[in-house]
Amino acid sequence: MSVGSLAWRIAATVLGLGLLLNGSLRMSDDVWPFGPMSQYAFSPSGDTTIVITRVEGLLADGRRINLPLRVETAGISRAEVEARIPEITADPSLLRSVTDGWTSRHAAQPALQRVWLVQDQTRLVDGRVGPTRLVELASWELPS
Amino acid sequence: MRALRSAVSWFMPVVPESRVAVLRTVLYLFVIIDIHLFVRDPIPLSRHPELYQPLMLERLFRLPPPSVPLTVTLYLILMVGCLVAAANVLPRLAGSVVAAAFTWWTAIGMSYGKVDHDHLPLVVALWVLPTVGVIADRWRSMERSAQAGWALRCIQISVVLTYFLSALTKIRSGGWSVTSWPESSILLWAIVRRPHGLGQFLLPHPELLHVMQWCSFTAELTAVVVLWLRGRALLAAAVFWMGFHVFTLALLYIHFAPTAICWLAFAPLERLGPWLRRVKARRRQRTGRRSAGHPVSVPRDHTVDSGS
Repeated sequence: MSVGSLAWRIAATVLGLGLLLNGSLRMSDDVWPFGPMSQYAFSPSGDTTIVITRVEGLLADGRRINLPLRVETAGISRAEVEARIPEITADPSLLRSVTDGWTSRHAAQPALQRVWLVQDQTRLVDGRVGPTRLVELASWELPS
Repeated sequence: MRALRSAVSWFMPVVPESRVAVLRTVLYLFVIIDIHLFVRDPIPLSRHPELYQPLMLERLFRLPPPSVPLTVTLYLILMVGCLVAAANVLPRLAGSVVAAAFTWWTAIGMSYGKVDHDHLPLVVALWVLPTVGVIADRWRSMERSAQAGWALRCIQISVVLTYFLSALTKIRSGGWSVTSWPESSILLWAIVRRPHGLGQFLLPHPELLHVMQWCSFTAELTAVVVLWLRGRALLAAAVFWMGFHVFTLALLYIHFAPTAICWLAFAPLERLGPWLRRVKARRRQRTGRRSAGHPVSVPRDHTVDSGS
């Protein structure tokens, strides 16, 4: 192996390891792919509240149904909606990202008239599963 | 000086290039699976520019915000690039194009609020595999090189660091405490949020979940040791980690397939080519023997009682 070839490989190795360590010790997800491995890396206490965010929709035939937040059913997944909760509660029309995706994949269903951003909030009591309550965060009436 | 030389030779061991050739085929084909099954949302997400929040990488390189034409183009580039690169054709060009396109594709998938951490080894692999260059005879190559060794070592390091750094992040997020994560309610939290797998049967047993947290945390913290294992010990470690991934899949429906596939960087893949050739030769031999058993006409054969 030539000196140049050896040198850039050593430099790349040192740089890569440095970026990874720096990302894990100091940075956030923003520096992907060198960010901290933060999935499931936090430490919820035994009395924490666990939330499951969902979107419910009122159809033209009067049924209120759950719109599953998955790429194949709504074009967007739960994590992406959860990451934008503050923006959605400030401007509920952002729920269009869910209704557009759901409508285009469920053309045979009656039209959506109204949607709600809701959460199932489960409380832990002494590290065990406690009661669950439904909380409404935002609602949006679709333009007809 | 000697320490430096031995460190360099550890980072760049001389290994068979056919190992890289086989790994290229497997990983480029895996990328095709990945963009359909795992990071499969860049095209639908690119319909929602209002939700896009670019990562530092995208801001640094001033990458344009995702649009449907852009993500569809990336998809097509990845499909063609992966097929060419999987055949070990134009490895530098096709490999570099796939590395850049897949990094961008995955970055787009993670620019809408959720960042996954199972892609580090695969992204590293795609960037280092082209550096080995052309491998004459591909799977059949008898060449050995330090270039191949460095590429494989980088992938191996990124696999074990995926585990080790996640343990480090757990210590950091718990306020630099070693016990806070293993003693927390994290698995309970995860199972309540993903009530699909076997995990729901463990909900009534939080003490058992704590034991599992201690086991996985200890395994992650010590994962770097794998880099120095050989033979049976290495095989045992690989089997343990594959079992770990199968377990989390059954428990929570969380797979780490892009990391798991990169464990192949530890495997003696150079044996695959000769093994396939032996299997083929044996099959050919068997079919050859069977046809020898059939009655065939013998030249100058004639009946005994010719009547002549």
